[in-house]
Amino acid sequence: MPSRCAASMPPRLRSSKFSSSTASSPFISCPFVRLHPIAQPVHSSRQFSSTPCQQITLRRRKFYEWLNGPGQQLKEPLPGSTNYLGAYDKYGNLVRAGHGWRREDAKAAAAGQQQKADPEAKAEKPAETPTPAAQESLDELEAAIRSGEAEEEGKTQREEKDDGKLPPETAEDLRPFPLNQYFRSQPVLSEDLREAIFQRVKKDGATVSLASVEFGVSNERVGAVVRLKQMEKEWIAQGKTLALPYSKAVLQMLPTTPHVDSSQAKNKGKRPIQHEPINDLPVHPATHQQLFVPVSESRHYTRVDAGRAFHNSLLPADARIPHPELVQAERELESGLSFEERRRLAEQRFEKQQEGKRKEERRMEAERAKEKVVPRRRWDFVVRDVSVEAAGRDGRGIEASGWRYGFPHQDRKRGIPKIPTRVEA
Amino acid sequence: MVLRIRLARFGKKHAPFYNIVVAHARTARNSRPLEVLGTYDPKPQAPRPGDTHGRPWKDIKLDISRARYWVGVGAQPSDTAWRLLSMVGILEPQFRVGQVQGQVIRADSAAKSLVKEDGGRTTTTTEEVNA
Repeated sequence: MPSRCAASMPPRLRSSKFSSSTASSPFISCPFVRLHPIAQPVHSSRQFSSTPCQQITLRRRKFYEWLNGPGQQLKEPLPGSTNYLGAYDKYGNLVRAGHGWRREDAKAAAAGQQQKADPEAKAEKPAETPTPAAQESLDELEAAIRSGEAEEEGKTQREEKDDGKLPPETAEDLRPFPLNQYFRSQPVLSEDLREAIFQRVKKDGATVSLASVEFGVSNERVGAVVRLKQMEKEWIAQGKTLALPYSKAVLQMLPTTPHVDSSQAKNKGKRPIQHEPINDLPVHPATHQQLFVPVSESRHYTRVDAGRAFHNSLLPADARIPHPELVQAERELESGLSFEERRRLAEQRFEKQQEGKRKEERRMEAERAKEKVVPRRRWDFVVRDVSVEAAGRDGRGIEASGWRYGFPHQDRKRGIPKIPTRVEA
Repeated sequence: MVLRIRLARFGKKHAPFYNIVVAHARTARNSRPLEVLGTYDPKPQAPRPGDTHGRPWKDIKLDISRARYWVGVGAQPSDTAWRLLSMVGILEPQFRVGQVQGQVIRADSAAKSLVKEDGGRTTTTTEEVNA
């Protein structure tokens, strides 16, 4: 994300302040003046100069002033905290820090803590920006958890004030661009959470959508996590070196969503933190236009019909959301079924899903078994048996193997995607 | 006229792809053949996701029974086609080198799968097999 890399950019200077008076006093006493200009032959034919600017402009002076003044704080990021401009005032003071807090103490404490226990340091990191209420329905349990957390945090904050420790980041501290108030840095998945998602999907055999609901991470992101984690593990098995210092440094400077392991005793009764809203309806291009459809009052007009009004093949919103099973569960709750009954239905659905998955796996296995693998020096040759009968009587069957004769290529035709649309995982 | 089993090159520049065809020997390379027996993709494919120590592979699609028939009625495979057909046992391989190499590789991968934890020991076993 390019936006996050911009954290150490100096604030922009107003161009109105920057006048042309710099030309009259080119050399102002400043440690960055280049006293001996480099002698270079001057070509009269040249339209532009390739030598660096010799003058000390106001803008440059201000830049270095900022770099040695307020900007110095940003050079070395605080351990376990984001490193954004928005967290500092214009004199370079950390806004959220209390009176007793000092930068050196924080560093020493963090170093000590890391030696003591790594996961604890991570848990102390700011959990998440509070999600807007509209995106997430706070039921009683969650509200209780949140209030409990807030109490805990409040307690620790009071203690921290006395200790001179750094309080957790607020929403204001998560603004990388001070001039853009509305840009908030969003949390990324922590390393623990990614590992937990991978284990849940690969070891326990949970479906992607189930893992998505359990961890509060969108389907796509769960898929990406599983794929990348698998690659990571393959690389480790192959003995490749990973860019761990880099990922560690980046993750230290970003807000992350921690993993709440409910199997542990201290997390009993807690729920995993929602990383993002998972059941958003993707906007289909066919629904971009506004539509007024006259319908007779007597007609039973449902969402299925509404979808069809936009496009013949457009499914209703109920079928297009990422997690229709959540709606189904809520419906069953609404209809007054007992807990046992609902559980039985959910298990039935799960079993059906698993059966489909197993069937697909068996099919793949059978296909692999048909292949004959011939190992050679550099490559394996994989031979698959096909049938020439697929070409049909006229030899033009679409199922026939091989490049077809007498047909133009479609690879430059409009409307056919040329880039790969799926990744084998 | 002599029937030949040979390859017809399709695909784009730097992306070759071959049809394995039965055609009259004197017809042009890419003209319509008597029959398309299958395809040969010489571009090595990356090992499939999931197998960590997997090897790159090349894809051959072939109607084996039909190829056997054409060889039986006297179609003459080109050298390359001979190499491909000998992989599925339709013909005796012209050169034994490939077979021996195949045996070496099989033994190699067997050794690898036996001794997984210790990297150093794996290499020694492969050296022994190669020697």
